Amino acid sequence: MVSEQEKRLTRSCMEMALEAGAQKVRVTLSKSSMDLVATLDGEVDKVTACQDRNLEICIFADGRYGAFSTNRLEEAALRRFVGDAVQTTRMLAPDPCRDLPSPERQTKAALTGLELGLYDSAYEGITAADRRQQALGASTWPASGKGWKLISEEGEYSDNLEHSYVLDSGGLEALHTETCFSYGVEVTVEDSRGRKYSGYWWDSCVFGKDLDGAAIGRKALEAAVAQIGSRSIPGGRRTLVLDSEISYKAVSPILAALGGFNLQQNNSFLQGSLGKKLFPEGMTLLDCPHRPGENGSRLFDSEGVATSERPIIENGVIKEYFLNTYMANKLSLAPTQEEATRPLLLPYGSAGNREAILKLCGEGILVTDFNGGNSNIATGDFSYGIEGFEFSGGRITRPVSGMLVTGNFLTLWSKLIAAGNDSRPCKGKLIPTLAFADVDFSGE
Amino acid sequence: MCRVSSSRYLNIFSVTEEQLRALVAEGLSSGGSWCDLFFEDTVSSELVLRDGEVSSGGSHEDFGCGVRVLAGDKTGYAYAETTDYAALLRAARAAAAIADGMRVSGASGLQAPSGARPGPGLSATKVVEDGKAAGVVTGAEPLSQRPRVARVPGGLQPPVEDTSSCGYYTFKIDWRDTTAAQGVPVLRKLDSAIRAKDSRVIKVIAVLSHQTSEIMMYNSLGELTCDTRPLAALAATVIFSQNGQVENKTVSRSFRCGAEMLTDALIEELADMAVDGLDARFEARRPKGGVMPVVMASGASGILLHEAMGHAFEADFNRKGQSIFAGKIGKRVARPGINILDDATIPGNRGSLIYDDEGVPGQKTYMVRDGILESYLHDRISAGYFGVSPTGNGRRESFRYNPIPRMRCTYMESGIDGSLQDIIGSVKKGIFVKEFSNGQVKIGEGDFTFYVKAGWTIENGRLDMPVKDINIIGNGPRALADITAVAGDLKIDDGTWTCGKEQSAPVSCGIPSVLVGSLTVGGE
Repeated sequence: MVSEQEKRLTRSCMEMALEAGAQKVRVTLSKSSMDLVATLDGEVDKVTACQDRNLEICIFADGRYGAFSTNRLEEAALRRFVGDAVQTTRMLAPDPCRDLPSPERQTKAALTGLELGLYDSAYEGITAADRRQQALGASTWPASGKGWKLISEEGEYSDNLEHSYVLDSGGLEALHTETCFSYGVEVTVEDSRGRKYSGYWWDSCVFGKDLDGAAIGRKALEAAVAQIGSRSIPGGRRTLVLDSEISYKAVSPILAALGGFNLQQNNSFLQGSLGKKLFPEGMTLLDCPHRPGENGSRLFDSEGVATSERPIIENGVIKEYFLNTYMANKLSLAPTQEEATRPLLLPYGSAGNREAILKLCGEGILVTDFNGGNSNIATGDFSYGIEGFEFSGGRITRPVSGMLVTGNFLTLWSKLIAAGNDSRPCKGKLIPTLAFADVDFSGE
Repeated sequence: MCRVSSSRYLNIFSVTEEQLRALVAEGLSSGGSWCDLFFEDTVSSELVLRDGEVSSGGSHEDFGCGVRVLAGDKTGYAYAETTDYAALLRAARAAAAIADGMRVSGASGLQAPSGARPGPGLSATKVVEDGKAAGVVTGAEPLSQRPRVARVPGGLQPPVEDTSSCGYYTFKIDWRDTTAAQGVPVLRKLDSAIRAKDSRVIKVIAVLSHQTSEIMMYNSLGELTCDTRPLAALAATVIFSQNGQVENKTVSRSFRCGAEMLTDALIEELADMAVDGLDARFEARRPKGGVMPVVMASGASGILLHEAMGHAFEADFNRKGQSIFAGKIGKRVARPGINILDDATIPGNRGSLIYDDEGVPGQKTYMVRDGILESYLHDRISAGYFGVSPTGNGRRESFRYNPIPRMRCTYMESGIDGSLQDIIGSVKKGIFVKEFSNGQVKIGEGDFTFYVKAGWTIENGRLDMPVKDINIIGNGPRALADITAVAGDLKIDDGTWTCGKEQSAPVSCGIPSVLVGSLTVGGE
């Protein structure tokens, strides 16, 4: 937990800045500890122990703004750091749009940091032996099967505890505490012709008891084996099904384009979109920041502004830009929240999980992983490398790789066929399996 | 040679020689075969111009020490965000835990515990083995022939190079002696220069960022290595508008040097880059996708080498048998005459290092020479595993991370196949690419991609239609073998390339203009 001494330190840092001439100040103390055990081929390969503390201070002085941080928290070092920060801020140009949020927008509910149920009290009792056992529990080494052998298996178990404590000179005081247990496994298998295929699976949760390492190792192996024999197939316009593991990639550019930073720079394919119906009727994307017991839930954003559940896109209509105090002032709009905390895409097109969506679509290409690629935030154009499976009659027929999918996000979403109900709680964005019609694939 | 006493660095981190020795001894106390300490004090600053004013800026200081203990090729790692001795001791004990239950008796040295993979051997540096020690001083024999390193040498072994005034990143004006007031006019000039180039400019965000790292490393051989590393970048993201159509472009230049880099010539270069090819960008369309020859312009096309080959040559992937190039040392992987290197010795280059983050001297490593795979990129662990000298590729993002094999500046030497125009002229139907944003590779499969921000289609040996925002995918070994023409125009790209393999690392790349016989191009 954040100790009383650390709270005093944070407050004294704010006071130092005010004494040095700042008119307004926000200070954030972040503190975390993490233990990690990595395995290689069924043996412990690496153990890591981390303890971090960082103090960030935002200075508003004489109409000017600067942001500074340090991990040197001894008093003498802090005093020098804060003095330099105020001095540097005064060298910058004034910017009347910089300000603290109004106190009525800020959270009053984050008093202990435990309000959202994101802390596993069992964390403190975990031993080094527990961690090793947990890490090794996911191993499938040395697995083999008909026509393939396991070449390499890397696993990584970690548990961490994070705290943040935010104060500002307007009276904000807020705490957030969160534990996170995670496990990732990556395997490489080799087929009888010597060709290699990799598979990866990952999971994380607030409570250690919910982490099933063995299932993660098994899924990683299954993912690699399923790709054996994959190859590029002829391109063309096909139905695209995006697995819930990677479907967030179709939503992230929308959220970025609705961000104040890009809108203010006229660098957004959703410029001027507020209140317009640019997505299909029935498509609804919510922000649900208060889901208890799920990593990523937050009562407040980095400015201390209280988060709330609200629609981002409702029945296809854009309902919100993400505007922190600065961007709202720059755009002369009312501030909202600086970003989507826990976006959730509601089901669409009466579909359930991935298998149901494959049946609904009949034939096409199921994409389970991306290999590079990018998008243009100004135009919404995108192009990504993909791997996955061709499917026909609602069933997977063969693995594919070495292909590309190319298009434009607005066009893509206008051809939404279905959004499932199978989003993964471990993901920052709760986006289920998605299906789109008439998407351009390039292949051999 | 310019030298300083190690006392400057010992003072920065407020530790003594005796404490360094004691910490290493503590790290080895559970039976570890190697221990090293990595002290870091990095101060970074940033200034941002937005809407014509430099109205935001800041700085960050990151200070601490990482302790690594190896038991065979297994790693224990911990760090402290202070150099308070008690905290360092706790970190050393935490890192030592990797060796719990792995104590090896006898003095045969560096043997892995029963059932484990062969030990890494932790080879001494190439400089030492060549008998040309110039900076750090180590023992004479490779570690693999030494007794088990459960002992700690009796004292520090100077001299230490003064890297602030010699080596691959000479700097004249220390960034720490500058203030925001000196950066502000540079960003304003850059903003004005870009806006003066083209009336279609509607927004400019210009960023000046720089950092200086004081690094001190000490290991269980008694090697003390110190380094002062500058790294700076000047960048601009520009938004253009023409008849309601909006385009964006980001340009940057980054060097390991001091504030003397902030010249009018650099500002002019960036402004020219920002508007270069703008007419084509507004006309650009998506090409018809498919498999076709790809001509890659000199410079930033070096991303091909980084993604398609460089990562697969990193020795950790090969040690674990994951890379598609595993077991291919000594085999032909490209046509004769092709040389591909990874180089830490280019003066001022973003990827250059006087020492890597294991204290191994920076060097120039031929990965492919005359078409033959000659060397992987090694840290000490992989070098020991393969029984070769480390190549100076052990790098880490900060003291928070253990070092792993990473690239530095990866490039191909010039060839003899004429000019870029000659190569374009040889292609009947294909694509020419010249600007990129990012890439990725799947190590086992060898499938790599890179994202093209700007290029042209080629029809009958001539550039035909501008294209943009397409991904290209290929397979590393096949693409390498399929490089059928290499021009004589090698260019190193000085953009702010950052590699994201587990940790962030500044790198750079370069290549002469080349023709790859067939890659899959995204399109409609």
